[in-house]
Amino acid sequence: MSTVSRGGLRRTRRNRGGMSRNAGSDVKAAYLFIAPAIIGFTVFVVYPLIRSFYLSLTKYNGLTDPVFVGLSNFRRLFTVDPAFWPSLRATAYLVLLYVPLSLILGLALAMFCNQRFAGVRLVRTLAYLPVVLPAIATITLWKFIMNPQVGLLNTILERLHLPTSLWLQSPAMSMPSVVLVMLWGVGGTMIIFLAALQAVPNELYEAARVDGAGAWSVFVRITLPMISPIMLLQVILQTTAALQTFNQPKILTNGGPGFSTNVLMLSIYNNGFPNLGRIPQLGYASAQVWVLFILIIAVIALTAKFTSLWTYSDNTPD
Amino acid sequence: MTTLPTEAAAPVVPATEPPAPRPQKKPRLVGTTAWYVTALFICAVMVVPLLWMITIGLKSRTAVFDIPPKLLPTEWTWSNFVNGPEAIHFPRLLLNSTIITALSVVGGVMTAMMAGYALARLRFPGRKVWFYLFVGSMLLPGVVGLIPLFQLYKSIGWYDTWLPLIVPAFLGGNPLFIFLARQYFLAIPYSIDEAAKIDGAGHFRIFTQVMLPLTRPAWITMSILAFQASWNDFLNPLVYLYSSEKWPLSVGMASFISAFAGQTPDWSYYMATNLLYMLPPLIVFFAAQRYFIQGLGALGSTNQK
Amino acid sequence: MKHTFIATALACAGLLTATACSGDDSGGGSVDGPVTVTVMTWESAQTNAAIKKALAEFKDDNITVELLDTPSGNFGDKLASLTQAKKLPDLFWCGNDTEQQYTTQGLLVDWTDKINEGDGDFKADKFVPSAMENWKTADGQMGGLPSLMNAYGVWYNADAFKAAGLAEPKAGWTWDEMYAAAANLANKNGAKYGLVADQLTGPDGPFTMGMYSVSAGGAPFTDNVNHPTKAEADAKYTEGVQKLVDAVKNGSVAPPGYDASNVQSLFAAGKVPMMFGGQWLAAGFQTDKPKVKYGFAPFPQVETPATLFDSVGICTPQYTKNQDATFKVLEYINTKVWDAVLPASPVAPPAYTPAQTSYYDALTKAQQTTVVDTVKADLAAEKTVGVRFTTQWAQQVGDLTTASYQPIISGKKPISDLQTYVGKINDLIKQGG
Repeated sequence: MSTVSRGGLRRTRRNRGGMSRNAGSDVKAAYLFIAPAIIGFTVFVVYPLIRSFYLSLTKYNGLTDPVFVGLSNFRRLFTVDPAFWPSLRATAYLVLLYVPLSLILGLALAMFCNQRFAGVRLVRTLAYLPVVLPAIATITLWKFIMNPQVGLLNTILERLHLPTSLWLQSPAMSMPSVVLVMLWGVGGTMIIFLAALQAVPNELYEAARVDGAGAWSVFVRITLPMISPIMLLQVILQTTAALQTFNQPKILTNGGPGFSTNVLMLSIYNNGFPNLGRIPQLGYASAQVWVLFILIIAVIALTAKFTSLWTYSDNTPD
Repeated sequence: MTTLPTEAAAPVVPATEPPAPRPQKKPRLVGTTAWYVTALFICAVMVVPLLWMITIGLKSRTAVFDIPPKLLPTEWTWSNFVNGPEAIHFPRLLLNSTIITALSVVGGVMTAMMAGYALARLRFPGRKVWFYLFVGSMLLPGVVGLIPLFQLYKSIGWYDTWLPLIVPAFLGGNPLFIFLARQYFLAIPYSIDEAAKIDGAGHFRIFTQVMLPLTRPAWITMSILAFQASWNDFLNPLVYLYSSEKWPLSVGMASFISAFAGQTPDWSYYMATNLLYMLPPLIVFFAAQRYFIQGLGALGSTNQK
Repeated sequence: MKHTFIATALACAGLLTATACSGDDSGGGSVDGPVTVTVMTWESAQTNAAIKKALAEFKDDNITVELLDTPSGNFGDKLASLTQAKKLPDLFWCGNDTEQQYTTQGLLVDWTDKINEGDGDFKADKFVPSAMENWKTADGQMGGLPSLMNAYGVWYNADAFKAAGLAEPKAGWTWDEMYAAAANLANKNGAKYGLVADQLTGPDGPFTMGMYSVSAGGAPFTDNVNHPTKAEADAKYTEGVQKLVDAVKNGSVAPPGYDASNVQSLFAAGKVPMMFGGQWLAAGFQTDKPKVKYGFAPFPQVETPATLFDSVGICTPQYTKNQDATFKVLEYINTKVWDAVLPASPVAPPAYTPAQTSYYDALTKAQQTTVVDTVKADLAAEKTVGVRFTTQWAQQVGDLTTASYQPIISGKKPISDLQTYVGKINDLIKQGG
């Protein structure tokens, strides 16, 4: 490759820092640029996959060497363990409550804030505020808000003569309470939907208005399809995140009355990192990890499979 | 439910100031009132818990458990705001959080931008493969790595240090950022690259002096997201750190409210400190609000390629 | 006595270093020169401060004692982490179950010889005998020494009882009287439940219920919590469970799932008329000074007195640098430190009987006479039941309890399921985990 610069007296700089202009150096440079990411990929993706699968077939307490036990961890998980099926149920309950509600509320809030009223920016900022606050700060705050005796919720409900609840301490209400705490941060979803809404070209709305379409029609025929790629992304992201929820159950209820909030992630943590001198069961916890992993992959695959049916993607450039 | 017309074909713009006022019709009054009532409700839901937190922070320890609870404190225990943080060792935790977060943010953004640049603008064999691998690794739940990495860190002596929290960021630990970076880089016309190469700049110079300034919204957004992710991280420091003086704020604060041997945690101290705990992210948010909204908007409106 | 100890220790140290023993993983290696012995407790900040002060009085040329700072709320997590990191301090507070599990895994130093042939007064026979028994593993090893005894009973709000015209609980009261009082006091004066009994409705519930059957002449839930051979729920036991189920149903006793972490404050504010609890709350109440007059009564009985029995102690990991030095500090803690700490912070009666007087004196001085009486009665009780299994598979029992026993108490499952539950536990016992 020629190193003479075109059109001029400029001095070429060859091999500056080992990176020159030709195609070969492109490759070198590229790999240098993504080297950290490649290392990260190997160490944090490939290694854990292999190692955790191996561990799930062993009995391992973290101090002595793992002992191979074959599939007995999985057998115990599915047949003997009284905590496993309840934890699956709790996880499913959380996902089924949280994901649809957060998407609906997020979209509703976004549409609400997408209007031209004075003060809409304030509402938007305030709605987003809980997302900005540290997660632990809000979770612990809500734990006390939901205290049945002295918490804010019951205090307000009593003043309004509405029925109160035991919230986190009631087996029936514990999971809805956890989901309520999670929904307080719906502002994040709102912002994303807001951006998506504002990317919808106005000509479409104008054309619809000219055609005399009603608000509902506009929503279903124009808004929803136009934001469907984002909706899909949000469904996938929210579902996988919800399946791995840990902070809220751990801090609010630590498994809750009975097993009502003992989601799989919490069960994994309690088995792998038990406290007060109980012996860790890292092999067993790894088996649970793989169940969760398969679950997540299944959800993503299923959602992706149905995308072509209901999303609209406009591939025209710019 | 629909936006009013703005300038035609405008690029993605976050919600801006209202246009010139239009003539009001009668039904609009009801709609407007409804909107404001709902807005008030929403604001209340978001803000009242925080106000209540402040009142608890102002109550004395025993007044907190008065039944029926009074909404406003009778004695204003301002000292809680001094004693609480002290009891929780707040300054130390704050310092820990700051260091861990700062390093994580720098590492995460830097390596993501580098990787995104290479994937978007450099031609090399395996370009597509690596991209799909990185994006595919977004599907890997963090929990899969929890136990193997815990054992790994233990065996190399990183247990109870900050390294497990910081080093993954420096090794491209967040594939979402790589994805975002690549998106941004793809949007930059190649002619700029060409011009810089003509000027004789090597890749490194192109990257730092040309590309980075151009993609400022991207890495500012990424910094904010990385900041939030690290500041909020609870499970990882919980697993990897057991010395209380090494804890970041998240673990330190959570452990303060866990009861042990029947002793109730001191909620008034806790709420007072909680307020302080909330301040740094709030400050960051208000300072960089614009970039944040804009950046998230990019996530909301980019085409998938 | 102490001098010869030091002399022999130094001589051993000299010999061992002379034989070039690396002494870092082979337990019991002695190191020449000054040694630091680290101690970790789960006591509150105030008690820890007092312990620190007392430890400063430990005078030995070669040994410095360092008390590690542990926020009490996270002791369990910290213990687990330190175990994994192989960095346990030389002396750490541990429960009986931790000691049993860790010893069987070979993680702890066996003190049997030292405590049986120790010099002077610090010998096995000066400890509460049942505590010593419980701290031995199946093959006679002792991975730690009991330090403090736990006595459990019912804390009651004397003012509430007086206002309702009820007789105060005292030794010899019956379960029926307790449930009646709970029903009477529920929903009065801001109290929702008449009795909060986390021990009866929580994961340890089945064991606590054993008190009822033992007191009625029946069988306990299990024959031995350390080395169980069977679990059973006989007719008397079932009767006790039924009474609890009824009490939960009519709202006088807090149901399973009730968050007990705030109960102490609620009790001090007078919003909980009765609560099951341990004697250590006395120390907390001394600093908190509840608004109400309160007392501590032994558990109710059916025919003869029965109580729960528990002791906590101090353990040492295998890799401690100097076993002799550690044992010396251990001896000091069990003998002298409690004398200094308990008067200000009477957390529990020591297991080492000569040190118990300071505890009782401290309580009497603080006018907690009911506590003194109850604790003395508990320690002298003939019929005791263990608090929970201490075996390796104990956690699985907890899961079974949550899945089967607690729904019975809440009324969600019929009481006939009790036998299925017991059957599953027997399966676990047979399997040995």
